[in-house]
Amino acid sequence: MGNRMMFRDREEFLAALRNLAREGVSQKRIRVETPFYVHEVDEILPTTPAKVKNFALLGAASGTVTGFAFTILTSLSWPLIVGGKPIVSLPPFVIIAFALTILFGALSTFFGFLILARLPSVFGVVPKEEFGNAFVITVEPEETE
Amino acid sequence: MDKPDKLAQVEQDVLSAMKKPGLGYLAALGCSATLFLTLLGLWGYQMTTGMGVSGLMNPVGWGVYITNFVFWVGIAHSGTLISAVLFLFRARFRSSFNRPAEAMTVFALLAAGLFPLIHLGRTWKFYYLFPYPTQRMLWVNFRSPLIWDVFAVSTYLTVSVVFFYVGLIPDFAIARRYKEGLAKRIYGFLSLGWTGTRRQWKNYNQLYLFLAAFATPLVASVHSVVSWDFAMSIIPGWHTTIFAPYFVAGAIFSGTAMVITLVVPMRKILGLGRYITDDHFESIAKILLFTSLVVSYSYIVEFGLASYSGNPFEMETFRYRALGDYTVMFWIMISCNSLIPLTLFVRSLRRNVKYLFVLSLFVNVGMWVERFVIIVTSLARDFDPYAWGTYSPSIVEVGITLGSFGLFFTAYLLFLKTLPVLSITEIKEHL
Repeated sequence: MGNRMMFRDREEFLAALRNLAREGVSQKRIRVETPFYVHEVDEILPTTPAKVKNFALLGAASGTVTGFAFTILTSLSWPLIVGGKPIVSLPPFVIIAFALTILFGALSTFFGFLILARLPSVFGVVPKEEFGNAFVITVEPEETE
Repeated sequence: MDKPDKLAQVEQDVLSAMKKPGLGYLAALGCSATLFLTLLGLWGYQMTTGMGVSGLMNPVGWGVYITNFVFWVGIAHSGTLISAVLFLFRARFRSSFNRPAEAMTVFALLAAGLFPLIHLGRTWKFYYLFPYPTQRMLWVNFRSPLIWDVFAVSTYLTVSVVFFYVGLIPDFAIARRYKEGLAKRIYGFLSLGWTGTRRQWKNYNQLYLFLAAFATPLVASVHSVVSWDFAMSIIPGWHTTIFAPYFVAGAIFSGTAMVITLVVPMRKILGLGRYITDDHFESIAKILLFTSLVVSYSYIVEFGLASYSGNPFEMETFRYRALGDYTVMFWIMISCNSLIPLTLFVRSLRRNVKYLFVLSLFVNVGMWVERFVIIVTSLARDFDPYAWGTYSPSIVEVGITLGSFGLFFTAYLLFLKTLPVLSITEIKEHL
């Protein structure tokens, strides 16, 4: 169990966090819990940007590829001319590829978030302690580094 | 009141909506659920008896079922506009409306999704629409706008549900804190074990931004695809290039009206006046006025395109629309969608919530009628006078239409008592 500081006021919380950063306490030892996103925390404790965007890009790209591949390959698997249009009619296939880009992109971003945020968390479903609207800083002891 | 107390106050104010329901609520829920059950009964009757129980005939093979489909998909749109587009534009007033608007999107899509199934007649064959490897190795026709619709609407529903749920995650964790026993476990489970750590917030922030970015093009694309169900055909009055932007503007217009219809009574009954202010309503009224002007402009352009087309069928269709068998419907549409909303140029009316509520009802009616006019007048008289005919909906169709409102309001009323009706976390962030 580390040393815990709880603040009702956001500014006091940020001041304490700045002090810890100034004292050179390792980021790995500092655990922060807030009632909402406080962007200053990332400025005080600089860290690598979130990687959710990689999942977004990967999902969206795979959606585009799947959309085109699926429509083209299924059309070619039984080449049937409908309404005098070419077997591989790209304009309508763009619509399918567009829909799948959004669908795969959104789902992949969501699942990427779950992985990166380490959710769902079994211990968090009914947590032992809840801090409500308090801003909490927990400094873990040095030996856990 | 100092700031920490204000934060707690927000939680209590919003979550107090979830307390034990009163008689008025139960009566409203009972009425809505009865309407929905009527829909199910009538749908069953139609399936066992046949499509003859509807008023659909030759040449009007698309009637109020398709009208309802287009209407409900349209209603869904402004939910995405308010939650995703206004988020990207950093519009502060969004946080007062986004949760009910997102809920509205999901429920409207549920109602919309029923209508292609009801309209099929043989509903049990619905899976023919999905691309799956059949025994005959024959795939769906990806060149058909109806297949585009399946992809567009199912993608829209999935992304809307994810976006709605993601917004709720931190609020579920707040609700968990106020609950005991089984309810605590359920909200804890729904919150995925959210505790508000730095890692969670950092990733959540980026997730929300990207989901908003993914949802934003859907505002334009989904109703464009729905419009192509019509525009890809050669029916006069449908085969026009303006259909996609025209439908998108109409969708946002009708959806914004529905948000006002839902949020005005919600604010009063749940006492949320502190969070949904007259300023917020004024901002929404401006969106309503703007989209009304775009819709009116589309009406004018549509008539202009027909007049200059040199195509006698096009010209006759538009004359028939305004002066033919459905003239009353046409002028209701013009009055409700183009003329009455012009009153919103007056600032005091934009800030008058009761007036906005009444106006929103007119717009809801006007936009339903607009879809009816587009669909039915074009089919009733196309090319061959020998095949002309007039359509009026049967009692079964009227019952099913009312039942879709039953489904929508049942879902919305259940939402009011089970989920946080406003985005608590966002409101706290902006305090």
